[in-house]
Amino acid sequence: MGTQVDLHTSLGVIGVELDDAKAPVSTANFLKYVRKGHYDGTLFHRVIKGFMIQTGGFDAALKQKLTDAPIANEANNGLTNERYTIAMARTGAPHSATAQFFINAADNAFLNFKSESPQGWGYAVFGKVTSGHEHVDAIEAVRTGRRGLLDDVPVHDVVIVKAVVAE
Amino acid sequence: MTTGNSLPVTADSARPQIHEWNASDQWRVIEFMSDLHLSPLAPATSAAWAAHLQHTDADAVVILGDLFEVWVGDDARCDAFEARCLEVLARTSARCWVGFMAGNRDFLLGESALADAGVTLLPDPTVLCAFGQRVLLTHGDALCLADVEYQRFRAEVRSPAWRAQFLSRSLVERRQLAAAMRDASEQRQRARGRAAYGDIDSAAAAEWSRLARAPVLIHGHTHQPVSEPMTTALTRHVLSDWHHDDGSARGDTLRLSAAGIRRSIARATP
Repeated sequence: MGTQVDLHTSLGVIGVELDDAKAPVSTANFLKYVRKGHYDGTLFHRVIKGFMIQTGGFDAALKQKLTDAPIANEANNGLTNERYTIAMARTGAPHSATAQFFINAADNAFLNFKSESPQGWGYAVFGKVTSGHEHVDAIEAVRTGRRGLLDDVPVHDVVIVKAVVAE
Repeated sequence: MTTGNSLPVTADSARPQIHEWNASDQWRVIEFMSDLHLSPLAPATSAAWAAHLQHTDADAVVILGDLFEVWVGDDARCDAFEARCLEVLARTSARCWVGFMAGNRDFLLGESALADAGVTLLPDPTVLCAFGQRVLLTHGDALCLADVEYQRFRAEVRSPAWRAQFLSRSLVERRQLAAAMRDASEQRQRARGRAAYGDIDSAAAAEWSRLARAPVLIHGHTHQPVSEPMTTALTRHVLSDWHHDDGSARGDTLRLSAAGIRRSIARATP
């Protein structure tokens, strides 16, 4: 069984199981940020109904948090962006993921690896939700709007209060 | 309003020569960016910039200064990193119009290197006439008047005499001098804290806007991206810097079209 992490969000605890075997780089990277408390107090800053909920990059004041160096994209590991899987967010460059991640709220096959090209790399899945699915649904359903320079930000803050490795 | 005692401005920044630039009526989108600070030490930022230019659908791309972290003279364009960046510009200018306005880091980027890359040099400030709108463009450092020490430095290094004297040195010497100048500036900024960049002077910006008859201002330099009213008669849009090497994925562009100005933010997504 993979490493378990509990995301204590302001709407309830979401338990995730990481796939250490198929996504060793993303898993180690995620655990490093969990252990140093990076995710504590981060906002779900991008929530799109029927698509995904994204977090890990901004504090509640919508200030971007500093991160470590980007990691290699493991989207070619065979894991796919099914509903309730957890995957790394990134910029347009394939190997640019740092701390931000998202939970798929639908089967998002178009995010899967196709080829090792900027357009085809896809998004690396590294685990799945094993408990608290209803809290994922609750976050997905919140009202969102424009805040500062960002769209799709929940009108009322939804945050990860604390992320804990279940030893 | 006169440019008399009420404004803490130098004669130069109070009454600038405002260059007027008419956009082609064939264009539908003009894109702005600034403060990329390209350097061999920030490879992810250079890669993100090159990828952006390769895919942009804009009819014109305008770089409002500090494209390079440092530019010590056009003879540096044969060095590997600088040559690669100019090659990116050349490939872009083969597809769309590309303009460049000097920043405080790369004001020595001259017309010969730019011409080789098919890039047009825009004076600072320039008023752009496009889609029936007048938009004032500046890098922004000339308006940061509260930083008196910087303004003194700026006046010195922008003088033809300083330029000639600096360019007469060897390339190696110039690189060393530029590094020393940057270190001194960074030390000064650290000593002064986060407010070091300061902001542009709103009274001076309003005066520029009045002279240019432009109700909209686009600038960079301060690395504090925002779109906001500055005065009742002036709205400003501040570009972000670009940074992809600490994982923070910054790099806004502003896109001007007949529909107005829209900000496009580089950010992590699925």
